[in-house]
Amino acid sequence: MLTKRRIEWAMYVAFVALIMIGPLVMDSFWLNRVAKYLVYGMLGVAVALSWGYAGILNLGQGLFFGAGAYMLAMSLKLASQTSLQQGSDKPVPDFMLWNAEPGAPTELCCINKASFLWLPFQSQWFGVAMGLILPALIAVVIGTIVFRKRISGVFVSIITLALVLLVRLVVIDAQPITNGFNGLTDLGWFKVGDLEFDPYVVPTYYLVAISLGLVLFGARLLVETRAGVILQAVRDDQNRARYLGFDVPSYQTFFFSVSAAIAGFAGMLYVIVSEFASPTFMDLTFSITMVVWAAVGGRSSILGACIGAILINVISAKVSETEGFAEAWKAIIGLTFVLVVIYLPRGLGGLAHDLVDRIVTRKPSNGAQALRVTDPSSQAAE
Amino acid sequence: MAQAALTIDGLSVDFEGFKAVNQVSMVIDEGELRVLLGANGAGKTTLMDLITGKTKSTSGRVFLRDTDITNWEEHKIARAGLGRKFQIPSVFKELSVRRNLEVASCKKPGVFANLGFGFGAVAKQNVDEVLELIGLTEEAHRIAAYLSHGQTQWLELGLIITQNPKIILLDEPTAGMTQAETHKTSLIVNNLKGRHTIVVVEHDMAFVREIAERITVLHLGQVLAEGNVAEIENNPKVREAYLGSKGIS
Repeated sequence: MLTKRRIEWAMYVAFVALIMIGPLVMDSFWLNRVAKYLVYGMLGVAVALSWGYAGILNLGQGLFFGAGAYMLAMSLKLASQTSLQQGSDKPVPDFMLWNAEPGAPTELCCINKASFLWLPFQSQWFGVAMGLILPALIAVVIGTIVFRKRISGVFVSIITLALVLLVRLVVIDAQPITNGFNGLTDLGWFKVGDLEFDPYVVPTYYLVAISLGLVLFGARLLVETRAGVILQAVRDDQNRARYLGFDVPSYQTFFFSVSAAIAGFAGMLYVIVSEFASPTFMDLTFSITMVVWAAVGGRSSILGACIGAILINVISAKVSETEGFAEAWKAIIGLTFVLVVIYLPRGLGGLAHDLVDRIVTRKPSNGAQALRVTDPSSQAAE
Repeated sequence: MAQAALTIDGLSVDFEGFKAVNQVSMVIDEGELRVLLGANGAGKTTLMDLITGKTKSTSGRVFLRDTDITNWEEHKIARAGLGRKFQIPSVFKELSVRRNLEVASCKKPGVFANLGFGFGAVAKQNVDEVLELIGLTEEAHRIAAYLSHGQTQWLELGLIITQNPKIILLDEPTAGMTQAETHKTSLIVNNLKGRHTIVVVEHDMAFVREIAERITVLHLGQVLAEGNVAEIENNPKVREAYLGSKGIS
C-alpha cells in the first residue's frame, strides 16, 4: 500500500518535472501552444475531481471555465492600449462606444445601463479574484439546490448542460457589456509588478506550468483528506453515507465548487496565453470534449485525466497538420476515443494503476487471482 | 424495568390514502433484541424508513431514549445513535474493506471538519476490532466490490458496529445467504446482543429462532401481536394472518 502510494506521488513529481523542461526543447510558438494544452490539462483535473471522485458528471464545466475567462478578460481589456485611447482619461472598452447611443457619455460608469459593472475591473486583481470566486459561487448555488434536493446521476448532467447553454445565450445577448458573439479581444497583458506576461515568452509558460503543478498536488492532497475519502464513499453509495451520519450534500457541493474554481482558474490562464475570451468557451462541444479528455486519461485518476487532456491535444495538433490526415484527423481522434472506452474503460490512468499494482505485488503469473487471498506475500506487500 | 431505548408512539404514514403504517406503537428496552415479523406489505420496511427518517411520518412520534427524533434528517438521526443496515447490501464498492470501516469511524458529519488527514489511532484500533468481529481481517485490503455476497453483508454490519450506535436496525440481514453464512451472521448478531439494542426485520425462521427474544408481528400496517417465540407460534391470530395453519416451520 505504502510503496504504491510512493510510486503514485513519484509520477506526479515526474510529470511536473517534465513540463518544467518545456522551454529547453521548444520554440516560442510551440511553447504557447503547449501552455494552452497545459490549461486543458488543468480542466482535466477539474473534471476528474467532480466526475471521478464526486461522481458528478458535469456536462457544463465550460460555464465555470468561461466565467473565469471573462472575469480576467474584462480586466485585461481595460488594460489594453486601445481602451486608453477612447477619448476618456480612464480606460473604456472600444466596443462599448461602437454600440453606444448617440450622445452617450464616454465614461465607464454610464455609457450604457450596465457598463458600471466594469468599474471594479479596472483593478486586475479584482478580475483575478472574481475569476475564482464567481465560478465557485455559481457552483455553490447550483450545488446547494441540486444536491439538497437529492438530484443525482444523469439529471445533474442535464441540468449543468442546460445551464451552460443558457449562460452562453445570455453572454451573447448582453452585447453592450460582453461584446456578444465576438467576445473580448485585443486584450492587454497580464502584469505582476513590472513583469508582463507576453503569451509567447518563457515566464508565461512557467506561470501556466507552475499553476498546473500546484493544482495537481493540491487536488491530490485534497482527495487524500478524510473529506476526500468520505466523498468517494458518497460517490459509491450516497444513502449508505447518509445513514452513517454524513451530511452528504455538503460534500458534493464543496467538491463541485472546488472543481468549478479550478475550471475558473484554467479559464483565466487560457485568457493570458490566448489573449481572448469568447462565448465559444461555453459551447456544448467544448464541455463534452473535456469529458472525453478525462475519460481517455482516466477519470478516477487526477494525473491521468490531466495527461489525457494534454496528450489528446498534442496528438490532434500533430495529426491535423500532417498532410493526408488533414481531412480525416477528427475521425481518427473519434476512433481512438471509442477504442479507449471499449478496451480501457478506466482510461490511461487505470492502465497505469494496474501496471503499478502488478509491479508492487509481484503476483505469480499463473492462477494469480485464485491465490490472492491466501498468498501471504501479496498480503504483506499491499 | 429497563429504560426504553426506542419508543414508537402512534406512528402512521399516509401515502395518498394508503396507510402503510397505521398507529404503530411499541417500546423497545435498552439492550433488547426485537424481531419484526410480517408478510410482504405488512409495513416492516416502511416502519424502518419512518424511524430512520427516510420517510416522513404523517402522525405519531419516535423517541430515542428521551430525544424526540421524529422526522429529523437521516444523518442527524444516525448521529443521535441509530444505525441501519439495508436489505440490499450497501457498502462503498470502490474502497477497500478497511477504508469502508475508516469512513464509518469518522465522527464528524460535515465536510469542513474533515479537511485533515488520517482517521487517528483510536479509529484504527476500533477498525481492527470490527474486522476481527466480522471475520474480514484477511480481506482488509480488498476492494469491497470483489467481496462475496455474504462478506458484503458482514462488511455493512461492520460499518454499523464501527459507529457503536445505541440502536441497530437490521433489515433482513440474511437475505440471499447460504445456510453457513446465515449461521455466521447469527453469531455476529448474538455477539452484539446486550451491548446494543437491536431491531431485526427477518423472514428466515431458522435465523429468528437462533437470535430472537421478543417478536412483534406486523400485519397490514398494524401491530398484530407481541411476545416470545412460543407465544407467537401459538397465537391464533398470527397463525391465521401470517404463518398459515402449519405454525413456524
